[in-house]
Amino acid sequence: MERDLSFLIPELLLSSAAMLMIVAEMMRAARLALVIGLVGLAAATLLTLPMLHADTTVFSGTYRIDLISGWAKLILLPGTALALLMVRAEITGQDREGSVYALICLVTLGALMLAGGGDIMVLVLGVVLTGLGSFALVAFPRDDAATEAAMKYLVFGAVTGSVMIYGLTFWFGGVGSTLFSALGALDGRPLVPTVGLVAVIIGLGYKAALVPFHFWAPDAYDGAPVSIAAYLSVITKLAAIFAFAQVLRDLPLSSGWPLVIAVVSAVTMTYGYLTALVQTNLVRLIAYSSIAQSGYFMLGIVALGASSLAVPGLIVLGAAYVAMNLGAFAVVMISGRSLNDMRGFGRRRPVMGIVMVIFLLSLTGIPPLFGFVGKVYLFTAAIESGFVWLAVIGILNSVLALGVYLRIIVPMYQPAQDIDESSEKSPHPALVAVIGITALVTLGMGFLAGFLPA
Amino acid sequence: MPLLTLATFLPILGGLALIVLPNRSARVAHGMSIAVTGVVFMLTLVIWSRGTIAGGFAQIEELAWIPAIGAAYRLGLDGLSLPLVLLTSLLFFLSAIYSARISDRAPSYVVLMLMLETAALGTFMALDGLLFYVFFEVSLVGMYFMIAGWGYEDRQRAALMFFIYTLLGSLPLLLAIIGLYLSSGTFDMRVWIDMPPLTGIAAMLALIAMLFTFAVKIPAFPVHTWLPAAHVQAPTAGSVILAGVMLKFGTYGLVRFALQMTPEAFAQAGQVILAVGVVSALYGAFAALAQSDLKKMIAYTSINHMGYVVMGVAVAALTVDLRIRTIALDGATLQMVSHGLVTGALFFLLGMLQDRAHSRDMSEFGGLLGRVPWLGWSFILMAFASLGLPGLAHFPAEFQVFLATLNTAPWAIIAILAIVVTAGLYLRAIAAVFLGSENEKWLEMRDLDRREKLVIVPLLILTVLVGVAPSWLINMIHTTMESLSF
Repeated sequence: MERDLSFLIPELLLSSAAMLMIVAEMMRAARLALVIGLVGLAAATLLTLPMLHADTTVFSGTYRIDLISGWAKLILLPGTALALLMVRAEITGQDREGSVYALICLVTLGALMLAGGGDIMVLVLGVVLTGLGSFALVAFPRDDAATEAAMKYLVFGAVTGSVMIYGLTFWFGGVGSTLFSALGALDGRPLVPTVGLVAVIIGLGYKAALVPFHFWAPDAYDGAPVSIAAYLSVITKLAAIFAFAQVLRDLPLSSGWPLVIAVVSAVTMTYGYLTALVQTNLVRLIAYSSIAQSGYFMLGIVALGASSLAVPGLIVLGAAYVAMNLGAFAVVMISGRSLNDMRGFGRRRPVMGIVMVIFLLSLTGIPPLFGFVGKVYLFTAAIESGFVWLAVIGILNSVLALGVYLRIIVPMYQPAQDIDESSEKSPHPALVAVIGITALVTLGMGFLAGFLPA
Repeated sequence: MPLLTLATFLPILGGLALIVLPNRSARVAHGMSIAVTGVVFMLTLVIWSRGTIAGGFAQIEELAWIPAIGAAYRLGLDGLSLPLVLLTSLLFFLSAIYSARISDRAPSYVVLMLMLETAALGTFMALDGLLFYVFFEVSLVGMYFMIAGWGYEDRQRAALMFFIYTLLGSLPLLLAIIGLYLSSGTFDMRVWIDMPPLTGIAAMLALIAMLFTFAVKIPAFPVHTWLPAAHVQAPTAGSVILAGVMLKFGTYGLVRFALQMTPEAFAQAGQVILAVGVVSALYGAFAALAQSDLKKMIAYTSINHMGYVVMGVAVAALTVDLRIRTIALDGATLQMVSHGLVTGALFFLLGMLQDRAHSRDMSEFGGLLGRVPWLGWSFILMAFASLGLPGLAHFPAEFQVFLATLNTAPWAIIAILAIVVTAGLYLRAIAAVFLGSENEKWLEMRDLDRREKLVIVPLLILTVLVGVAPSWLINMIHTTMESLSF
């Protein structure tokens, strides 16, 4: 028992921090809540480091302490801290500010459970915990758009969640255990693995915004505050992807899941970028492009069984994605939500302009930026596992991606329209800090990628 | 001293220094640009003096990068890359001098130029597949912003087309590199060259992917369509770098990757590649003949000249005679350098003409030779060099390529027709712009000033030197080509 708990210190720290934050919110001390959250996240990150090389399970195999869950903590916890700072910059002084921080930490706790889950029950718990918090976060602004977005998100989540739970009962019925590690017994059985697989794709695909379960994403991102959109597009999505990895690497290959995931991946990438090409709202454009990014992550999921580069690839691209997507959203918080707001942005704010170009080129996968390293890993993994066609589609989609992101970059350097007052305001220091950190990571980790997991 | 690393990264460090500098006036920016590119040029001269070795790479510099997948930071040189490195550092130095008159957002311009120089030098010196790809792609980004930011009228469209076209073009190379990696377990290009890891159908697929990438870059017919648009809209120094340096990425890759890493597949596809070279040479010449826009005309002659390089490489793969093979590769490599010198100079001269007249249409000029003798005679000399006149830079290169072609695949010698066409088009351009009756509009035109002469004269001297006494350059290339392993 003590051993089990000692491996859960980061999770325990995070949940205690969240409870303390609720207390702070009751005392109307939002700032204190923020500090507690940041300290808690930092401490949890540091305490993850010693158990990075552990490969074990706790609580009778239901919760995994392994490479994926370890790196998930190292990626999601600092990512959450950055998101907290972004939220701070956007909603300082508003009513219920502290509850937002507490909710975010609770959603991240759910994300960690998804990334470390080794059991159907933990998986469901993670899905519910991330879901409930996220609905409330999206609804925070209390206007029509946000309410509609949250409603859509909730209904979608409720339906896909129930379908997932229903489908997963087949697995339990098939092997008599809720552990993923027992799924090997399904090898060669017809139908049962498939029903569960479809259920998982629906339930987690909704969270990761895979096509065709993505419909909620653009509305939710657009209705929510930009910083919340940034948080959801990064943390809950990555959690779902890590959960995919935890489930599917135990599912027998005979059920044909790699091919199914490969098709989902190809459709998601292509659909996401094609739709992004016609958006005029910057948040929606990035929303669709991050749907496409989920498709790229699936390249790594496809290769899980056959390539040793799949897991490192997911981790590397995951880390890169946190930095570049949060960074891009943070710049959007300065520039404004419309594509028109980007006109002349690079000339008005040269440094912010360069930084935005770095984020967008990294999202495209242009070397030597961090996003490129992640994509190389995943392309290599996909080819190694025999999915050359998928890698080709991924590579062709990089061209579409360039088209999408150039739609932001090109107007940035066109002559500016008449400058409005709001653009002259200097951005919130927390936002500048977030942009600085994410830019350094995006730029620097491209060179230092060798230090990431082998 | 890791001179290769120093030369590669000094430019980008200079650019970064410029970004953090408190005083970022145009004067400081251009001063920095000239100083840095000048020092890099000196460094490459020192690198040249340290020499290359036969049968492999010299002056290797290595550092761990991503050990998990066998990718490392590896730089090195041989007789193929050294001349291109020297050409690169020279053209960037001259471009920096020429660009000193640009006042619009000068610091950004200089940073982009310096970033491009790092990318170009890195591309030629990288000995690691992944590293090569990194430099190769960074150059695209730099050139995109250069054209989009400082180009002429229709620059946005041209820049977009350039970026998307060449990115689409370069992605197949990434596939080929991943294929080479998966079959060898390392990204070390020396391993790929010494023991080509792919065979059979896999090698052929990789070759097709690489040929597509490099054909876009060279550019060869029929994937050349981005070039005229990009060249016409690019600022002058951008055109010089694009034609003088970046087109060589394509031909360099053709030899380094396609020929050396998939030699058997290359030999099998040799006749097709040769045909692409012949068609490009002929097409480029005829298309150039149809232009009245001077910049477009020179752009098309680039397709023609690079067509000869493709022919040379294809012939080298087809022949069984080692002597002929060496002649073909010597000629092809020399042609890359000559094209850089001559076309670089021609784009500089057109830029100078356009600075004065704000027009590039040859029908708007006439009789300029008396008005601007320096500009006129320089253009005439370079035009003669470009059409392959003996005694000037292109002659020894094209002569060797044709000699080897005649020996190996006599049918391909029809490409020599292109020389007649280029002769015709250059004579027509010279007659229209510099001879005939003077157009009154240009009575006030100034001749080249000191800075402009400083840019042109080194290229004039080198063009004549390579034409009259090419041995110093050929020897550098020859040692490697004789022992080139493939």
